[in-house]
Amino acid sequence: MNSTLKPSSTHPGSVLIQRLTSTPEFLPFTLVVVLTVVFAALTPHFLSRGNLSNLLAFTPELGMIALGMTVLMTSGEFDLSVGSVFGFTPVLMWTLFNEGVASLEVALMIALVVAVGIGFVNGWFVTRLKIPSFLVTLGMMMTIRGVALYTTSGFPQRTWRAESWLMDIVAGSFYIGEFRLYASIFWFIGFALLLGYVMTQSRVGNWIQAAGGNAVSARARGVRVAQTKTWLFMLTAFMAAYAGITSSIRVAAANPNSGTGYELEVIAMVVIGGTALAGGRGTILGTVLGVLMLRMMRNGIVLIGVPGLAYNIFIGVTILTMMALQSYLARRHPSGSG
Amino acid sequence: MADDLVRMAGIYKSYGPVMALDGVDFSVRENEIVGLLGDNGAGKSTLIKILSGTVSATRGDIFMRGKKVEIRNTTDAIALGIETIHQDSALVVQLSIARNLFLGREPLIGPAFLNRMDKRTMNEVAGKLLKEIGIKKDIPATTPVSSLSGGERQAVSIARALHFDSDLIVLDEPTNNLGVEETQGVMRFMRGARDSGHSLIFIAHNIHHVFQVVDRIVVLRRGKVVANDVDPKQTTIEAVEEIITGMPVG
Repeated sequence: MNSTLKPSSTHPGSVLIQRLTSTPEFLPFTLVVVLTVVFAALTPHFLSRGNLSNLLAFTPELGMIALGMTVLMTSGEFDLSVGSVFGFTPVLMWTLFNEGVASLEVALMIALVVAVGIGFVNGWFVTRLKIPSFLVTLGMMMTIRGVALYTTSGFPQRTWRAESWLMDIVAGSFYIGEFRLYASIFWFIGFALLLGYVMTQSRVGNWIQAAGGNAVSARARGVRVAQTKTWLFMLTAFMAAYAGITSSIRVAAANPNSGTGYELEVIAMVVIGGTALAGGRGTILGTVLGVLMLRMMRNGIVLIGVPGLAYNIFIGVTILTMMALQSYLARRHPSGSG
Repeated sequence: MADDLVRMAGIYKSYGPVMALDGVDFSVRENEIVGLLGDNGAGKSTLIKILSGTVSATRGDIFMRGKKVEIRNTTDAIALGIETIHQDSALVVQLSIARNLFLGREPLIGPAFLNRMDKRTMNEVAGKLLKEIGIKKDIPATTPVSSLSGGERQAVSIARALHFDSDLIVLDEPTNNLGVEETQGVMRFMRGARDSGHSLIFIAHNIHHVFQVVDRIVVLRRGKVVANDVDPKQTTIEAVEEIITGMPVG
């Protein structure tokens, strides 16, 4: 039979380069390295302990949402309500605690269960009523944000009176010399390793990619596409909720407005990392690099004196450039799924 | 005469007022290739969709080796050993050859809670299968299906059916959009599958392709079987075309 496969170069060096450039993680990795070098050259503060500590404090929070979004987007769906869930869940948790309804531990469990329930409703609407996830999660985004604002009259919930081991585990901090590290970085790494394993090694990972790549074919092979997607909506909401709770402990306030606009920033991180917007292909490592890249960019341009308001210009241009390069490399060397 | 592997008896299917199948009796014997022919709208696809679990019959019974079975969905059909290969291959192009071959039936290794795929076995088996079905080029099993030609994609689908030892392989227009050499490759796979104990249903608009490979031809016209036991060695393409259209050809 004829093959469309092009004969590969026999030179070991060019084969290695071809393999490297064909991975979706190649571009974000290259850009992270380039940004580090450029910002470090432009300002000595960029690689200072204080700045790195600051960078690592906020990165895991958006990063955790991005991890959940990566898996969901690989299955061919996305969730615009993550920012609202990020804002609403800590408000619910701290309201329950401050009003004396529940201990902090129980309030946390209730808040996470409610978030998972929101994910379930998203998944049910998308898979059972066949409504596009854009519309379902847009509606959910407005509903949840509205509930958060209405129930708090727009005021933040206080968090600083609570004393619990839970706060240390979720978002506590400690020093290594002068370097301040937050527990959230370990949660982020743990979630990344777990989801990376699921996506690359597990049967479920194969189903997730198949559901996003060709749902009809996956269904015909006995893959439970609807259930898989519903679970992923629940996972995404859980990750957004956990990130929101982490953030509320770190900043000592649960603001009903927090997380506004995160949904698009997170989707940008995921796509820049190499996950296909249309589904079927996703990479956790790429997302970690995408998260790092956008956070470094935001941090770096402020340090070198570019007005913060210009941040969106950088992000927009970066997304467009990355998409063009990813598309070019994908057409030249399609990467396998092992 | 060999026994029936599958028998569909009195199959009716209506879409609103339109009767797509009107009491069809259709059977496939052990170790034979049946060519299912008919003009557009004759009911071939509907009949095959019922057999592969994509749609349900309004009325009628299906028997596998004489035993009545229920096919409510594609999972039921696969469990009964019925594998359908569509013209677009129905593969997930982003996944590798090995992952496509085992999709839905991935072998696991290690403790069950880890849900870990045995990728080494998957890649080894896939590589061996590709060679067995005659792909001479050294294509790694980790190659994404998007890199394969139309013929190679069909080969992957057929390899999947053979590996999981499907009793009945349904090929729905498998030679559409294929070149001459690739089409001959698919024909070779079909003969090989029959010779290794499988039964096949071959649906194609190109009667020349059907004549090359099938043991028996069944013709549908307007939802009814109009010829059930046409031997391609005893007839001509023109005669079959007349049966399909119901009008003299030429």
